[in-house]
Amino acid sequence: MIDIERQQKLFITISKFINKKINVYAVGGTAMMFYGFKDSTLDIDLVFNNDKERIIFKEALKSIGYQKMDSNIVYKKKENQPEMFTLGNERFDLFIEKVVLFYFTENMKKRAEERTYQYGENFILNVASPEDIIVMKCATDRVKDREDAKRIIDKYKINWDIVIETAEEQVKLGKEIAVMELGCFLEELVTEMKIDVPQEVLDKLFKFFNKQRSSKSLK
Amino acid sequence: MDKRLLARLEGIQTIETIMKNLNVKRKTAIDYVSILKKKGYVKTKQVHNHKRVYYIEFENKLGGQSYIELINKYSPIKISENKIYKIYGKRLTIEETLINAIESKSPRIILASLILFQKIKNWKKLYQLAKEKEIKREVGALYDLTRKIMKTRKMNLRYLSNSLPKKGDKFKEIIPYFKSKDFKDIENRWKVYLPFNKADLGEYK
Repeated sequence: MIDIERQQKLFITISKFINKKINVYAVGGTAMMFYGFKDSTLDIDLVFNNDKERIIFKEALKSIGYQKMDSNIVYKKKENQPEMFTLGNERFDLFIEKVVLFYFTENMKKRAEERTYQYGENFILNVASPEDIIVMKCATDRVKDREDAKRIIDKYKINWDIVIETAEEQVKLGKEIAVMELGCFLEELVTEMKIDVPQEVLDKLFKFFNKQRSSKSLK
Repeated sequence: MDKRLLARLEGIQTIETIMKNLNVKRKTAIDYVSILKKKGYVKTKQVHNHKRVYYIEFENKLGGQSYIELINKYSPIKISENKIYKIYGKRLTIEETLINAIESKSPRIILASLILFQKIKNWKKLYQLAKEKEIKREVGALYDLTRKIMKTRKMNLRYLSNSLPKKGDKFKEIIPYFKSKDFKDIENRWKVYLPFNKADLGEYK
């Protein structure tokens, strides 16, 4: 587990080993800590624009003693798994462009660039918006992800239009099941965790899904 | 406790507003501020009559420096941050802040940052940064503009000779579609359109 103070110090340390400017996006628990939604996180989830930047970051991690670990242990057989590095009880999950099921899209990047933290000269960290964190939580869908989504919805006034638009955007990018996955994820939050997701949002998602299904069956 | 307190008091507060919002006595309100202060959630400013205003938000706990904070420290034109950009692990310099302000392409931020020309000590660094961002001429034009409204240190001669436009250089814009009616001389010297007229600089008087 790592808390925000330790994470800030760790990022400053890592930045000393990064000699080229890299732009990274924080998602998951790491992003949540920047908003104060969470006090600590198990893993530091970062999304990179390309492998070049990820290699620079990986080298920096190795320089301070982090070691690579098998991502199958955590992500089982899911696609677009991250490269994982660990030291003690801290862990980095390093994704490129896609977080398991979903793309980290240009619009998500733009929203993340509204909240930027620069460490040293070269390590620039943009923090995903709360709406996008929820969408990404749906992509990884581990037990703790639902609890995290609950925390965000309880503490932040979510712009549900962004959530719906993002899911539709994923479909356009070829992730056909994105809307259905998100709909199911949110429905489970409502039924199992008694979270207040507007019915209108669920209706919109399932309406989109039905449209998607009928256009498929017509083909 | 402190997280709940933060949620209830987030925003701009005085002891009086806390007393009113939470329906508590003065001493309790002061204790609450002190609890949040210890956690790093509070920034305090003193206004007229020695009154204290508390800016309470989670973001304060994260610390760091921002370009806007540095501009506001020196400029009579105060600007608000609509984006969060915090810097850690290095000292923010006036030179970087000026370059960042020009790159923002925001008239308000550029206007507020003009005063930073008074504080420039490292012209070499300013030149390197401006060259890297390809805004050497923009910096030169804004420097000349600043000299019209306030005293500044003299520009390093090397900066000047390396940055003036060459034959064949085309006019550049600092902010797209913005041109000045009043500072044609500077515009022609640097081949840069300035985004301000005389009236815009009134806040510096």
